Amino acid sequence: MARVVFNNVRKEFVDEKKGTFTAVENSEFVIEDKEFVVFVGPSGCGKTTSLRMIAGLERQTSGDIIIGDRIVNDLHPKDRDIAMVFQDYALYPHMTIRENLSFGLKNLKKSKAEIEQQVKQASSILGLDELLERKPRELSGGQRQRVAVGRAIVRNPQVFLFDEPLSNLDAKLRIQMRVELAELHKRLGATIVYVTHDQVEAMTLGERIVVMSNGIIQQIAPPTELYNKPNNMFVAGFIGSPAMNFMDATIENGKAFVEGAQIALPQAVADGLKSYEGKKIIVGIRPEHLYGEEFAHTVSKEHTMDVTVQVIENLGADNLLYFKVGSRMVTARVHPETIARLGERKRLVIDISKLHFFDPETTQRIALS
Amino acid sequence: MQLATAKPKPTPPAYRRFLRDYGWAYLFILAPVLLFLVFTLYPVISAFIMSFQKYNIMKSKWIGFDNYTYMFQDDIFWKSIKNTVIFTLATVPINIIITFILAFFIFQMKSRWQTFFKATLYLPSVASGVTISLVWLAMFDPTSSGLLNTFLGWFGIDPVIWLGQSKTALFSLILMSYLGSHGSGIILYLAAMGGIPKSLYEAADIDHASGWTQFTKITWPLLKPTTLYLLVTGVITSFQVFISVYMMTQGGPNFATTTIAYLIYESAFVFYDFGLASAQSFVLAAFIIIVSVVQFKFFSSDVEY
Ligand SMILES: Nc1ncnc2c1ncn2[C@@H]1O[C@H](COP(=O)(O)OP(=O)(O)O)[C@@H](O)[C@H]1O
Ligand SMILES: [Mg+2]
Repeated sequence: MARVVFNNVRKEFVDEKKGTFTAVENSEFVIEDKEFVVFVGPSGCGKTTSLRMIAGLERQTSGDIIIGDRIVNDLHPKDRDIAMVFQDYALYPHMTIRENLSFGLKNLKKSKAEIEQQVKQASSILGLDELLERKPRELSGGQRQRVAVGRAIVRNPQVFLFDEPLSNLDAKLRIQMRVELAELHKRLGATIVYVTHDQVEAMTLGERIVVMSNGIIQQIAPPTELYNKPNNMFVAGFIGSPAMNFMDATIENGKAFVEGAQIALPQAVADGLKSYEGKKIIVGIRPEHLYGEEFAHTVSKEHTMDVTVQVIENLGADNLLYFKVGSRMVTARVHPETIARLGERKRLVIDISKLHFFDPETTQRIALS
Repeated sequence: MQLATAKPKPTPPAYRRFLRDYGWAYLFILAPVLLFLVFTLYPVISAFIMSFQKYNIMKSKWIGFDNYTYMFQDDIFWKSIKNTVIFTLATVPINIIITFILAFFIFQMKSRWQTFFKATLYLPSVASGVTISLVWLAMFDPTSSGLLNTFLGWFGIDPVIWLGQSKTALFSLILMSYLGSHGSGIILYLAAMGGIPKSLYEAADIDHASGWTQFTKITWPLLKPTTLYLLVTGVITSFQVFISVYMMTQGGPNFATTTIAYLIYESAFVFYDFGLASAQSFVLAAFIIIVSVVQFKFFSSDVEY
């Protein structure tokens, strides 16, 4: 039963010349047993540091880390019952794949028969049977990645830690390995903490996602909740591709005034925004919630905005229209047969139920009760 | 490229075009090639010829294999081989271990101290062998006021005539080599140690590997290329050991420290028998080549490059 808990964990790096740098601040979360949790955020935000603190490769400056029922603050990595897959895989270059897989078990003084059996099991799960006598340099990137995972699973740990395991693979292989990792999680029934900077990977793999920025946890939620109810503008902009659009607006008499549109808000929303009457506000809308007028079949055509299209990108399945609202560039992801021409006016329909509102001062989501 | 309107020029002859395109390149290559021909290839070839001659400054005489047969029947030649082999076996492996241990400890230090020790330990490699030998002559001073003898005196041991008796002369030279230059080896080891990714040790930590296991299963195997390099180059230099012998013992007493290189020097510049010296040189060269090849064959099988 291995939960992973952070209680107010903080990590500072002290450099003689550059001074103190806080990589992780007041980190608090509970990862439940058997849960697949993904840490996501731009590079340098403290994901790896968080993971390395779970592994015991980095000592937190303050706060408690709990794995299972034990406080592991000062436990050596080997005593934490965890396994880690490193970003560069960290395979032992001079050992064969078999030796790589069995190294940990040998150090545990397991019997030959048991090691043999464990290695066999891991290698057949991961399709490494043919490669056991090779050296890591004789393997492709995808195969090495599998060996790294294999080395983690032979020891049957309570918690698996993955640090950007797919970032060195090409796009196609990445998707394939993503599916395999999801299956592996079901099969192993272990707790997995997974770090990535790729929000698509996070959304597809994570049961819950921890979004980080500048060492601070921005939100912890399941993928759909992150998408539908981002806590703040950072999460809203980070999750989803293309990113959410932000537009400056003012609220007057229950209406949101955006350049090029005047959006009458439903009563419930208007009530929620009462305290912003006459003030500036930021309205967020995802590109996929803007429609070309002629294809707005699923939403009411009541709310529209007229824009001048500046760029059109054809992705095949969709078209991306770019235009300016005030000083901000806004994207609409529309049906590919939507009629739009460069430099011409186009009427877009806004799905009013999918609007997000943020306070421009705090960048926090404005909760509409 | 010629424009269609330009008057067609006659094409220059092939050799002129070649000179124009590549002339400078060959001129630059010529310099080192000439140096090699004059100062390496020519002496080697003429030494090879000389090794079959009775050398005379006016007119050398062809004597076939006489130099070689004389050499192989010469007790002092065999003694010099024995001395050289003993010197090599006693110095090279232990020096590698010393170098490795020094590098291992320096590697754990803060970078400021690393720099300090790297510089300090490299100094002897920069200093001339003659200077170093002079320092050691003072240390090996046979009177009771000599540096080493003073040291022994603290333990109640009588003064030792370090370089003056057959028993201790070769040992003294060996001792001098242990405390000599580990600088370049340390720098190679440090670079190689720095090249081992830290994540390997972290993975090993998680894999329950003890410090000793990490050392024997990760550090040592991954440093093998460096060790092999130091072994081969160490053996080659040790086979050619000369300066310390020349400066400190002149091969004596009673040929106890006569090494092959010193013997060659003696044949050539004491007895002016350049033919014999050449023959001895070729035997030394053959010896070095064979030993190097054997070392590579033996040790390189499981080395990762
Ligand atoms: N050992 C270290 N010493 C100093 N600073 C570090 C160290 N490790 C990480 N950092 C800094 O901490 C921040 C977070 O790093 P990291 O956790 O690796 O980010 P990422 O989210 O990209 O994995 C970065 O700004 C990085 O420069
Ligand atoms: Mg990272």
